[in-house]
Amino acid sequence: MSSALRFEWVRLRTLRSTYWLIGIGLLLTTAIAFGVAFATRNDLITAEDAGIIVTGGAELAPFLAIFLAIIGIFATGHEYRHGTIQPTLTAIPQRTRLLLAKVLMVAITAAVITVVSVAINIGLGSLYWQNAPDLGAEPLSEVIPGYVVFVVLYAILGVALGQLFRGVPSALVILLVVPLIVETLIAALSLWSALDWLQPALKFLPFSAGARLIATGPYDANGGPEFDFLGRWESGGVFAAFVAIILAVGWYLFKKRDA
Amino acid sequence: MITAQGLYKRYGAKTAVDHLTFEVRPGMVTGFLGPNGAGKSTTMRLMLDLDNGGGETLFDGRKFGTIAHPMREIGAVLESKAFHPTRTARNHLRMLAAGSGIPFHRVDEVLEFVGLTEVKNKKPKNFSLGMAQRLGLAQALLGDPQTLILDEPANGLDPSGIHWLRTVLKSLADQGRTIFVSSHLLPEMALMADQLVVIGRGTMIYNGDVDGFVRDFTQSTVLVRSPQAAQLAELLRRVDGVTVDDVPVDARAVVTVEGADAPVATPAPSPALRVSGIETAAIGELAFQNNILLHELATQTASLETAFITATGASEEYVAHDVPGVADAAPQPATPQAGPPAAPPVPPSQPGDTTPGGAA
Repeated sequence: MSSALRFEWVRLRTLRSTYWLIGIGLLLTTAIAFGVAFATRNDLITAEDAGIIVTGGAELAPFLAIFLAIIGIFATGHEYRHGTIQPTLTAIPQRTRLLLAKVLMVAITAAVITVVSVAINIGLGSLYWQNAPDLGAEPLSEVIPGYVVFVVLYAILGVALGQLFRGVPSALVILLVVPLIVETLIAALSLWSALDWLQPALKFLPFSAGARLIATGPYDANGGPEFDFLGRWESGGVFAAFVAIILAVGWYLFKKRDA
Repeated sequence: MITAQGLYKRYGAKTAVDHLTFEVRPGMVTGFLGPNGAGKSTTMRLMLDLDNGGGETLFDGRKFGTIAHPMREIGAVLESKAFHPTRTARNHLRMLAAGSGIPFHRVDEVLEFVGLTEVKNKKPKNFSLGMAQRLGLAQALLGDPQTLILDEPANGLDPSGIHWLRTVLKSLADQGRTIFVSSHLLPEMALMADQLVVIGRGTMIYNGDVDGFVRDFTQSTVLVRSPQAAQLAELLRRVDGVTVDDVPVDARAVVTVEGADAPVATPAPSPALRVSGIETAAIGELAFQNNILLHELATQTASLETAFITATGASEEYVAHDVPGVADAAPQPATPQAGPPAAPPVPPSQPGDTTPGGAA
């Protein structure tokens, strides 16, 4: 296992896209954190604003999660796109071990980068905060670890999608289209009374449920469908289960199919 | 020593590899030959557990998947450009070295050995096929393995590169390593291999040494020219096991004589016969005893190429059509134009003289 992890470590750090994606991700989240912190410098800081600053606006647009998911997609998708799966498997023929090493290495990277990003954002915020929000009290005490779990799950989902589709483009499409279009569409359809039976299922839409991990307040229908999500960690569990299913199917097919 | 037993692979209704059983012995180069689409790559993928299929391949008695660090024991290259286009050659090999517990300094050694030191920090997306093949060989040699499995390694190399590859593979074999190398080109294999495994449409056509392949798939013939060819043919046909064919008169025997105003036919060459199943000496004796004048008496041995075409002709997967009108020009066994003579015999190295050690 340690060889497989070392392999993955060298693979990850010898790819220029790793640095680009992390760099742009950190730049965007830092820019958002700075912008919001600067704009609210004279206001009494609310938990919502503090949440947006700390997570670099993840509740609005989860940039870091998306970019680390792309790093995850590259971990498996590149192997097929560039035919390196053949030399990789002649070095590490144990496929379960190889996929596990990819998941672990990408997950560790995602966790470390998220922690770094949060630290940068808190540092930026503290430059402007008149009276610092209590990071040890709810909701921030839950949003910060929730954010790390959220980004890690996205990154693992990337690895799983890249493995499932054995390539980069289809995995990217799923990653971007499902949360943005499919889930929004299902939620919108449930507003019609003929389709209101969809509403109890809405809390199980994986990406919407996953977003509860970084929510600073309770779900506000705001004209949308009226329903209640599960709690923060239960909703995170729904998203984690979705990621686990995709990973399990990808793993099963990886074991079964020709490389 | 590689032992492949009953390798089998089917894609839908099409059988790609049909129960192949063979051995690849140490201390020599074993060529794996077959026309395009014969199933060579699929066979190699089955051997390396990359594809699922029937049969079993043992490397010194162990299955590939049970070897802890296979790169240190089996160096395999199946695709010529299996690297990320922007990861440098050096980093590509470092990545594989990290996955196999091979120290990084070995990466620079193998890159030096294959002659890629100058471009080791360059992105391989601009590598020529020849450079990619060299990187592939470096990858195969990375773990200093006892066994090499190479799919078409000479593809894309220039003549000096092919010469170099041949020398490298031969010297690695002389160190007692097991070398299994595929090709669809005969002349290449003739100069490189000691043993051959020849397949067509996934089935075994021949497994043995190079000379035996030529013997099995070519019949030496004797070309006889005589003014009394018809009479000689009569006599020869009475001998058991002898076949006699008339050689059509070559229309191109008309040549222009310098100084002459018009093309002048040279004295027509005497009619020729192609005889098989009898030695030249016996033909000469027969002619002498019957007072038949001979103008030419020559043994013709088919080249390895001819043998290959004979052996695999019926099994080619993708058959191209001849240009209309020149269909007759298709190579016939044992024509005088049939190319270089068969492979020079290669003394098989002794399996005992294994010298474990660095490949470089």
